[in-house]
Amino acid sequence: MTGILSIRDLRKTYDDGFEALKGVSLDLEKGEILALLGPNGAGKTTLISAVCGLINPTGGSVSVGGHDIDTDFRAARSMIGLVPQEVALEPFETVWNTVRFSRGLFGKPRNDALIQKILTQLSLWDKKDNQVKELSGGMKRRVLIAKALAHEPRVLFLDEPTAGVDVALRKGMWDVVAEMKADGVTIILTTHYIEEAEAIADRIGVIAKGELLLVEEKATLMTRMGRKQLEVQLDQPLKAIPEALSDYELELAEDGRTLIYSYDTRAERTGITALLNDIAGAGLKLRDVQTRQSSLEDIFVSLVEGEDA
Amino acid sequence: MNLTAIASIYRFEMTRFFRTLLQSFLSPVLSTSLYFVVFGAAIGSRIDQVEGVSYGAFIVPGLVMLSVMTQALSNASFGIYFPKFIGTIYELLTAPVSFLEIVIGYVGAAATKALFIGTVILITSTFFVDLTIAHPFAMVLFLLLTCLSFALFGFIIGIWAKNFEQLQLVPLLIVTPLVFLGGSFYSISMLPPFWQTVTHFNPVLYLISGFRWSFFGVADVPIGISLAAIALFTALCLGVIWWIFKTGWRLRG
Repeated sequence: MTGILSIRDLRKTYDDGFEALKGVSLDLEKGEILALLGPNGAGKTTLISAVCGLINPTGGSVSVGGHDIDTDFRAARSMIGLVPQEVALEPFETVWNTVRFSRGLFGKPRNDALIQKILTQLSLWDKKDNQVKELSGGMKRRVLIAKALAHEPRVLFLDEPTAGVDVALRKGMWDVVAEMKADGVTIILTTHYIEEAEAIADRIGVIAKGELLLVEEKATLMTRMGRKQLEVQLDQPLKAIPEALSDYELELAEDGRTLIYSYDTRAERTGITALLNDIAGAGLKLRDVQTRQSSLEDIFVSLVEGEDA
Repeated sequence: MNLTAIASIYRFEMTRFFRTLLQSFLSPVLSTSLYFVVFGAAIGSRIDQVEGVSYGAFIVPGLVMLSVMTQALSNASFGIYFPKFIGTIYELLTAPVSFLEIVIGYVGAAATKALFIGTVILITSTFFVDLTIAHPFAMVLFLLLTCLSFALFGFIIGIWAKNFEQLQLVPLLIVTPLVFLGGSFYSISMLPPFWQTVTHFNPVLYLISGFRWSFFGVADVPIGISLAAIALFTALCLGVIWWIFKTGWRLRG
């Protein structure tokens, strides 16, 4: 793998003194997908805007394919594509013209075959002669993606591309993202849908209050941060957890019929055997036993809450 | 130089113009005809000649200038304000284009539209008055420079404006009065001495005077001063635009 995007100590302080980015550093490899998670106002869009040239960073540096975004902006920017969060399109222009314009703006020669391929891939080909204002919300989002792809970027920023998009269309967009990854395009995706990050990202970055809390392989993160839970359903409801089980830090569900035991899968001893023995020893009858893995959402919430604490 | 980008911006802007071609074409023809009916026929019949030129012919350069200035200004200001308003400006700011290329694309398109309208008005006026052009090359030069400089000025207004009200404010409250008071429809020699002096502070006077000189060989101010004034105005606008892109004023946060 080779590095394609390098962000070093990127800072942005607005005129009113608000520090939107507090020294973010990040490296991305060719062809990888990074999902950037974070609550509203965490700095996700500011980070993207600073890299793409929409805002002037206060400090730090960014290079794309070895080209500095400031001193070698033409080479750097020609490698970047951006799908913004807001649907911003010229309403009276046709889909074809607006996508063709994007390619020309990036200095690329006319290539109708490529634009046809992109529009077909995004199910927009039959709408190519329609004015943008005639399209549905989901179609407009796809036009934004088509515009970003028209100049064949090597690094693509997708700023909440599936916000307000129905489930079927969202999955369709994931397929497009997978195809781009296969072509070696690096993708940075911001999203509020954690299932989206879970489904398509290679690495997860969590940002809060302008700081990158962590960037890790999705699988590693899930293993490291992921706690497993054992749910023991009882035959008869309990009013309180028996004294004999107090060492296990169990939770009792509201209905009193379920005991929840959290454990670390990487620990030498999970304590499950001992717990089950002690439950039997306490005279409790089991109805069912099941385990549950923490989702990325749980991990994200615990990280951000930890930051707030 | 990213020539493809310039051509793309220019073509995209001109498409907007061609979408409303009928309106773009009919509006100047109609308003010019009305000016000739009101000023030329009704008032002109009571005014014999101005500096040896029939009043109907005398107002032609002023009429052309009035439309060219307002059209160049409004087209250029709207051209760059609209992407800001609807958010599509993000694409310009993230593209590998320099400020000069953006300006050439937008200002070039706005100046072309103004030139088209100026030409339509000039042709329309020949249906109402006998028109001879003493210095055709100078006429074209003044026309081009005015289209360009006012399109540059409009571009600045488009970037400065935070809403549609501000977008209309400068053309309405500053430019239109300056054009009307800059000798569009009269020679400043017809004014009392005090107002003649005041008018010399109006930059539009120099443009209209130079343009009129190219038609009739008569001018309110020397032709050299007119040319210097328009060159200065153009340079000033270019300087401001350069600063805007260097600092990202009203463009980049």
